[in-house]
Amino acid sequence: MPELTNPDPIVVDHVGKSFGNVNALDDVSLTVASGETFGLVGPNGSGKTTLIRLLLGLGRPTRGEIRVLGHVMPDRAVAGQIGYMTQANALYAELSVRENLAFFGGLYGLHGRRLAARTATTLALVDLADRANSPASTLSGGMRQRLSLACALIHEPRLLFLDEPTVGIDPELRHTFWDYFANLNAAGVTIIVSTHYLDEAARCHRLGLLRFGRLLAADTPDSLRAISGESDFERAFLYFALRAGGAVAKGA
Amino acid sequence: MPAFGYGLSMRRVANLTMRIIRQFTRDRRTIALLFLAPIVILTILNFVLNNSANQVTLGFVAPDGATGQVVTQELRAAVQGQQGLVLTTVVRDSVDATLRSGNVDGILIFPTDLSGVAATGTLRLTLDLEGSNPGAAKQLISISNLLAHALSTTPGAAPTAITTSISANYLYGGPQFTQTDALAPMLVGVFSFFFVFLLTSVAFLRERSQGTIERLMVSPLRRSELVLGYVCGFTIFALLQSIEVLVFVIGVLQVHYHGNIALLFLVTLALTIGGVNLGIFASAFARNELQVIQFIPLLLVPQILLGGLFFAVKSLPIVLHQLAYIMPLTYANFALQDIMLKGYGLGQIWPDLLFLVGFAVLMIALSAYSLRGERI
Repeated sequence: MPELTNPDPIVVDHVGKSFGNVNALDDVSLTVASGETFGLVGPNGSGKTTLIRLLLGLGRPTRGEIRVLGHVMPDRAVAGQIGYMTQANALYAELSVRENLAFFGGLYGLHGRRLAARTATTLALVDLADRANSPASTLSGGMRQRLSLACALIHEPRLLFLDEPTVGIDPELRHTFWDYFANLNAAGVTIIVSTHYLDEAARCHRLGLLRFGRLLAADTPDSLRAISGESDFERAFLYFALRAGGAVAKGA
Repeated sequence: MPAFGYGLSMRRVANLTMRIIRQFTRDRRTIALLFLAPIVILTILNFVLNNSANQVTLGFVAPDGATGQVVTQELRAAVQGQQGLVLTTVVRDSVDATLRSGNVDGILIFPTDLSGVAATGTLRLTLDLEGSNPGAAKQLISISNLLAHALSTTPGAAPTAITTSISANYLYGGPQFTQTDALAPMLVGVFSFFFVFLLTSVAFLRERSQGTIERLMVSPLRRSELVLGYVCGFTIFALLQSIEVLVFVIGVLQVHYHGNIALLFLVTLALTIGGVNLGIFASAFARNELQVIQFIPLLLVPQILLGGLFFAVKSLPIVLHQLAYIMPLTYANFALQDIMLKGYGLGQIWPDLLFLVGFAVLMIALSAYSLRGERI
């Protein structure tokens, strides 16, 4: 198994991605360890989504190499072990909660008793068991977001990608989501999450600060605060942005 | 798990097909559109095309003198109890004027004198038809034939052993006028192509706009499985619709039908697969539902207008004629009409079917190509 040579589930090695003349990502290198939550933080257009899409295999890096679970991406072989929650809560509105889960589970080969067991577990996890037979169109925004997470978890992925999973939901549910993530980490799931919210960033094990496609820093929240000498993330982020300096002109 | 090709999973295809069927059956309005619209359109067309099928008026010009009175009586007796037929006498001099007045649908004209008929053994009748209503004209031709037959075997004014011949003249149009008979086979094709294209492109557009396509692309689902799942899901509905349309046109509208039902579905299947994939391909160029609707005048209306439904393809001006011959609906129309009306088999319609299969293959290639961008 290639994983034995490098146990880290995600290795990003000097990766760049260009769309025409625009550098969406520029010389990004990072590793994510098994069972940790790695946060990608940065303003809109900083390259968070581009990086997540490359990690998912939805595109090929222009430069450098990405290895996910030991496979050079893009590689369909790892698809079965990856869960993905998109920015929009990508669901089928006509289908019930259970049918959405059954469909996405079916894509990963789940059926019969195994599917039923996973459906029950996942519904309990996101607290939607009592709405199992409701059409997705009748759910509230927060419930849809929870179902969207459940659909990403139905096949027990080892790696979970969450692209701004808490956009537009209330603070209480955001808090609940981060509790889910902590439980998943405890079960050995590695999570890569992008977010705008700097208070959420504090709950990640490690953070990557992205700006204009460059990784300004990647470290634990505490270390980032210590290095910058700032107590809150907004200021810490600005510190790293100013330190990167030239990148501002480059990306603009 | 049954698999072929490079690991194509039929279970995943079936999973996708089932999802499409579920989504569809939840959408009552779309189901109604799919299954009620063809019936409404067919019913309207049937009435428009054969609008006096309920009531036709046949005028007749009797021979002169006493023979004329006998013939008149015999004709009246022959049509006794015929539903929807009115028989009226017309004066020989006013035939043309009566026809133009629109009071009769046709006039059956006897010779002035039947005395020569006994000698020659033939009775020549003329049927002058108004012709603007093909349904009525057609009905009158068959009624006149029946009447002539009744005369020739009835002793009385005309001798027993005569042969009757009727020559029909049309004031407007002609016997080649399109009717429900000719239209129904084409509509089977038009309905399935139209709805399958529209519904697939909207369904696929939604996959994109709601972001589910990203989830599909990240999952182990292959592009081929995605396309196949869509084809199966929508083809099932298209075939159900075709069955419904056929039952309606044959059972209710009493359209003449001589064909091989299996062959008919084979043609519909080829057309539908082409339609589903054209829908997937087209949806890549639409950003919202309105833009999908914009494909209708662009891609569908020309095919419906030029494919033989309204005007015979052969009678089209040369440029349009050539255009018609690159359109799949034209070939579907030819094939379906030949199967249903002429009872043609695979031996005769294979060139049309081949074109439709070729179109389907091309569309599969294009739809697969349009999905390439989703996952590299």
